[in-house]
Amino acid sequence: MTSINELKKRASWLRREAFEMIVRSKKGHFPSSSSCTEIVVALYYGGFLRYDAKNPKNPDRDRLFISKGHAGMVLYPILEDLGFVPKGEVLKFTKADGIFRFYPDPTIPGIEAITGSLGHGIGLATGHCLVGKRDKRSFRSYVIISDGECYEGSTWETAMFAAHAGLDNLVVFVDRNGCCIMDHTENCVRLEPLAEKWKAFGWHTLSIDAHSLPEIIAALELANSGKIKGPIAIVAKSIKGKGVSYMENQPSWHNKMPNDEEISKARQELAVEAV
Amino acid sequence: MSDIQKILPRDAFIDEIYAAAKANPNIYFITADLGAKALDRFRRDLPGQIIHGGISEQNVMDLAAGLAQNGKIVYTYAMAPFMTLRCYEQIKVAVASMFLPVTIIGNGVGYSYNDAGPTHYATEDISCMRALGGIEILTPGDTVSTVATAKHSHTHPAFRYVRLDRAFLPPVYDENDRRFLTDGLVEIEPGEKVCILTNGYMLQTAREAKTQLAASGLKPGLIDVFRLRPIDAKVLARVLARYERIVTLEEHFLSGGLGGAIVEAMADAGILKLVKRIGVADTYLFDNGGRQYMHRKAGIDAPAVAQEITRFCQTRA
Repeated sequence: MTSINELKKRASWLRREAFEMIVRSKKGHFPSSSSCTEIVVALYYGGFLRYDAKNPKNPDRDRLFISKGHAGMVLYPILEDLGFVPKGEVLKFTKADGIFRFYPDPTIPGIEAITGSLGHGIGLATGHCLVGKRDKRSFRSYVIISDGECYEGSTWETAMFAAHAGLDNLVVFVDRNGCCIMDHTENCVRLEPLAEKWKAFGWHTLSIDAHSLPEIIAALELANSGKIKGPIAIVAKSIKGKGVSYMENQPSWHNKMPNDEEISKARQELAVEAV
Repeated sequence: MSDIQKILPRDAFIDEIYAAAKANPNIYFITADLGAKALDRFRRDLPGQIIHGGISEQNVMDLAAGLAQNGKIVYTYAMAPFMTLRCYEQIKVAVASMFLPVTIIGNGVGYSYNDAGPTHYATEDISCMRALGGIEILTPGDTVSTVATAKHSHTHPAFRYVRLDRAFLPPVYDENDRRFLTDGLVEIEPGEKVCILTNGYMLQTAREAKTQLAASGLKPGLIDVFRLRPIDAKVLARVLARYERIVTLEEHFLSGGLGGAIVEAMADAGILKLVKRIGVADTYLFDNGGRQYMHRKAGIDAPAVAQEITRFCQTRA
């Protein structure tokens, strides 16, 4: 497996890529992408997600659903790096001749499903997991949902169903950055105790630091150990806008674009983090 | 009436899916807690292909999309108002926008669940569902067309909404007639000057209205709008050619309903004829007394329809 240091470098690279995407296109959601950066790096580069870049629809692939579709852009540099799409596509993010758009959808190689409307990814993934069980395939579905998605009733409809169905091939990361667009979640409508909610719905629930690669890896290893019966919820406490000081934990930066001075400052901070 | 016509639409439909599912393990049936006599056998014999999704229509629709993404032929089933409007955005995003072959079965359209109240009525389902991109909407009006619709749904998987009535429906088609599937619009009773376009349960009402109109010398034709979307412009032009005036009849609000679909299709095809749309009163009714009573209150029972047609035929062009 890739070393933790290598994965950390990957995470720094991915944040810089995501930041430059919003600078170039003046569109996108850097803070939401940054809060789940280590999770996607661990999945793709930590040896957990079994993908097939040459045949993205290989029926035995593991599935990753970025249910918080506004952060779909965090996958694009990875999909280019791993050869799902031709080199140069990240530079064309949201451009007329590019294939990467604001929100992900399955016309993009390596993207499983359309997301962006919150509360769909978990249900879609659960459909895939049912097929996996009934067709006796060994793939897993990983879902990254935002804490904001825990406001959607559909999330809990499926949470109840997946636990009842005993889907041990389903792993959900809850990106607990604590922010929605207008305010912090606990000021909008209280979500806590969030981990206990998942537990009460019958999920094996872990609480980790979303920016600690060792903690993410330990959680994924447990998920893959075969010791857990049923679906797993990993509530990952994260910092929205991680890596750019003025954006960190500031709901107002959800989709705000930085000015020239702010861009310079962010570039300096994101470069330093790599060391 | 033969035995096959004494079967409820949902049982006729599900029996055909059951037979197909026995031969094809890729057929999945998801219910949001609506049963049926025919479903008991399905649950007993094919437990791996039936899913109880909970009384959770949003979950049911996202699951359906996930299954369909893996090449499964998927059905979702619940009462019509819940299987459409309760999970409308899931239908749009997860099924329609990903072009997935899911057949949505809405049981009990219109005032089928009479005496239940507006929660259980589906008088907006046509307008809502026909707004979705790429959908096929079918309303079987008898047992022959119900069974054929079920067969069509698994031999031609597509994004589709099947509108089933809750009541027994009397025969309309001969056993081997399949014009409803090929043409979508079928002139089941030829007439003169004026014709009634309707479907499902309302075919009976139209027939009763025709009987009442016979005394005054009016002989309306009767056209089954089996496939509400897409409407074939050439077929529409052909079946309307011999008529001067057009009446549409539906157990549904007029906004965007069957009549709306017909006049849109006529406009697009350049068919210029006078049209009278008859639908339910633009309100929510809280009345007991059965479906016929509801129809009287809503202004769509046979005497009301006959009166509207008489008046319509008296107006000057």
